[in-house]
Amino acid sequence: MTRFVLHRLLLTIPALFGLLVLTFIMMRVLPNDPSAALAGENATPAQIAAVRKAYGFDEPLWKQFVIYVEQVARGDLGNSIISNRPVLRDIADRLPATIELTFVSLAFAACVGIPLGTLAAVWYQSLFDHAMRIVTVAGLAIASFWFAIIAQMIFAMELDWLPLRGRFPEGLAPPLHITGLYLVDSLLTLRFDQLGKAVVHIILPAFTLSLAGLASIARFTRAGVLETMQKEFVHYAEAAGYARRRIVWVYVLRNSVVGATTQIGLLFGGLISSAVAVESIFDWPGVGSYAVNAILTSDYKAVLAVTLVVGLIYAIVNILVDVVHAWLDPRVAESL
Amino acid sequence: MKRRDFLIGTGAAATLALARGRIALATPAADELIWGDDLPGSLDPHALSDVPMQGYMINVYDTLYVNKENPPKLEPWLATGHTVSEDATTVTFKLHDGVKFHDGSPLTSEDVVWSFRRMLNVKKGPAAAFLPVLDPDSVSAPDATSVVFKLKKPYAPFVAATPLVAIVNRRLIEPNIKDNDWGQAWLASNAAGSGSYIADISTYQPVQQIDLKRNHDHFKGWSDNKSPVEIVRKRTIAETTTRVNALIKGDIDATDSYLPVDQVERVMGSKTATVSKDQSMRVMVLRMNNRKPPFDNLNFRLAMSHAFNYKGFIDGVLKGFAVRNAGPIPVNLWGAPKDLAAYDFNLDSAKELLAKAKAEGAPVDREIEIHIQQHLAQTTQAAQILQQGCRKIGINLKIVPNLWPQLIASTAKSESTPDMWVHWVSSYFIDPENWIGQMYDSQFAGTWKASCWYKNDKVDSLLREARGHEDQSKRRPLYEEASRLVVADAADIWIYNAIELRGLSNRLRGFHFTPIGSGADFRSMSLAS
Repeated sequence: MTRFVLHRLLLTIPALFGLLVLTFIMMRVLPNDPSAALAGENATPAQIAAVRKAYGFDEPLWKQFVIYVEQVARGDLGNSIISNRPVLRDIADRLPATIELTFVSLAFAACVGIPLGTLAAVWYQSLFDHAMRIVTVAGLAIASFWFAIIAQMIFAMELDWLPLRGRFPEGLAPPLHITGLYLVDSLLTLRFDQLGKAVVHIILPAFTLSLAGLASIARFTRAGVLETMQKEFVHYAEAAGYARRRIVWVYVLRNSVVGATTQIGLLFGGLISSAVAVESIFDWPGVGSYAVNAILTSDYKAVLAVTLVVGLIYAIVNILVDVVHAWLDPRVAESL
Repeated sequence: MKRRDFLIGTGAAATLALARGRIALATPAADELIWGDDLPGSLDPHALSDVPMQGYMINVYDTLYVNKENPPKLEPWLATGHTVSEDATTVTFKLHDGVKFHDGSPLTSEDVVWSFRRMLNVKKGPAAAFLPVLDPDSVSAPDATSVVFKLKKPYAPFVAATPLVAIVNRRLIEPNIKDNDWGQAWLASNAAGSGSYIADISTYQPVQQIDLKRNHDHFKGWSDNKSPVEIVRKRTIAETTTRVNALIKGDIDATDSYLPVDQVERVMGSKTATVSKDQSMRVMVLRMNNRKPPFDNLNFRLAMSHAFNYKGFIDGVLKGFAVRNAGPIPVNLWGAPKDLAAYDFNLDSAKELLAKAKAEGAPVDREIEIHIQQHLAQTTQAAQILQQGCRKIGINLKIVPNLWPQLIASTAKSESTPDMWVHWVSSYFIDPENWIGQMYDSQFAGTWKASCWYKNDKVDSLLREARGHEDQSKRRPLYEEASRLVVADAADIWIYNAIELRGLSNRLRGFHFTPIGSGADFRSMSLAS
């Protein structure tokens, strides 16, 4: 297993370098010169040229790239050209919010999607199965920003059950910073009042973000369970008199969720990108809204840093998924 | 404790917390104002000079002069007044005694000198308004309460432009200067002001949030407001729908001042909020690159000017929340001719003019590009209205999505400047110079404001003469004449002067709109119980 994990880790290095090259080229080859914005209103061409020189934008592209790679190798992702702060600091401030939202969404999608998919397979062609198919297709088809607005209108505006926006009530001190994840930090400090506030704030954005993932996981689980149910060991277990519940939820499910587990890893990337819209609508202070602002202001160092950090997280999550995959199906690790 | 027990305990505790009824949903406290408007990209007032920066700067920093009311009046603030030499090149300001920065240190004339020198050396944001007329070494402080500016040439808008320059606390900045950067890296996320509110830097998250606390020791005192707001929480809420919902729900006390017109009725119909509708000084303009054929042909530009459905746009798209602006100077500012006839939507005239342009050899059949700012829906709507008119007279207009940084970078050269693009000219300082002066004097070619690449020697001469007179009564006719010439040349298509729409909670009192800062001057505000 150690060799398996190391192999996966080594593969992430060229992947991340490729991501770095691609993003850098996209940001710098496009007609994208932040010098004018930096020079400010009414700046003359000479002032803009001076800013371009000061920031090194007049250097050849390859030279700018080499300098940037050297910086990244030292763990320095540079300063935001707009806010003049280290982008790593800006991202570090916001990343816990995005991670918390994404993982809660993923957990919700898996915890609800896997049982629903299993039940749909067990009750194949029943009314429940048909209803599930409609719901999952709708879940995949509905745009998250539209659903977010509808959810806000119903649960925050009309019913007043849940907060409209934000991560924590205005004016109240958030949980003591340990991990930056409010749910975890409030638990670690045993502040259940804060936990309650953090929970009610995350329900709507997490549910909205989880919708597509939930539908996808449910469909993959359903397909996997249906296939496994046809295996001989299931018929043997039934003939041997094992309880149906045990057969489905223990033996069949373990053999069926491999596909769904892989899907969870892939979903993570989708969730991070969907988080941009969801964070914006729910005013969730994560990296999504930061990235949008960076793109609008041509803050290319911030865009590069966000891409790199999110790529790194994506790679780590997929390694974890591969490990789970190998645990569920030992043949995967042995094949190396 | 077993894992199962821990999970059950945690779940039970969370459920209990939720079940105890309402977990205090976000509701502003009685003495806290939640201001749901954009934050500047940086906190350094000498690095940026945009509308969000104005909203921040007017509260955290003080300036020599300020603009109050609407239409705005220039009032002495840190200065008690100023004098101008006979040759109009030396301006002397007298300062108030006893002004203190937020750290308690005194604000003296040396701080004013240092602030102007910093601004001029940093060469960003507000510097562009001063660099042509002022060198860093031309600012001096003969005594503790006097500041003298020696201008390279007479420049009448100088005093009107001083509200652009925040006076900063050099004692805080100087220890944080690195690599001769004038403390830019530090001040980008710190504060060094003396204004009515103190920035609580511990709450700062770039372009997301910052809290301001009332400066009880502000030099102006607080006798003009018996119950000022103690804490202002500035929050950027990116999504319009969320911003409006938050206002109606009572989560925030104010939206930004660009409320979409389709949300006005909704806010007005609520029991919790209202909409402040204030005529601003923000002119929407469709730029035409006068150097690129066929825009170098007057008849073609005139045809384009008649192809835009002004009434349809203002009444239909903007629901009447705008005032037709015939020329470059806002209609509510001196210097804008009262008798200036606006171009009308007249496709017959447009067709005739287009035929004339074609006969004169203008390449009217080529595809014309109009660049819009893709995150600002109104720029797309304006381009679409023009596209409809153009289609009817046989002009092929293509709408190209773009972003502000790319657009202003492209305007450095006439070849890279788009055929047309859409933007507003906001009130950075209140003087015709901010509009017609910087938009149509050919010496500013290469800046985004002068991106039409217009050149008319007579206009250049009028604008340069106007800058040289201190007396407004002498400047007014010069700007009026220049306006008439620019409009006759159809240098651009001027659409409207904005009516700013800001959603406000019913508990908010003392909101006074001024174009600089769009009414975000918290000094006068209070909250009803």
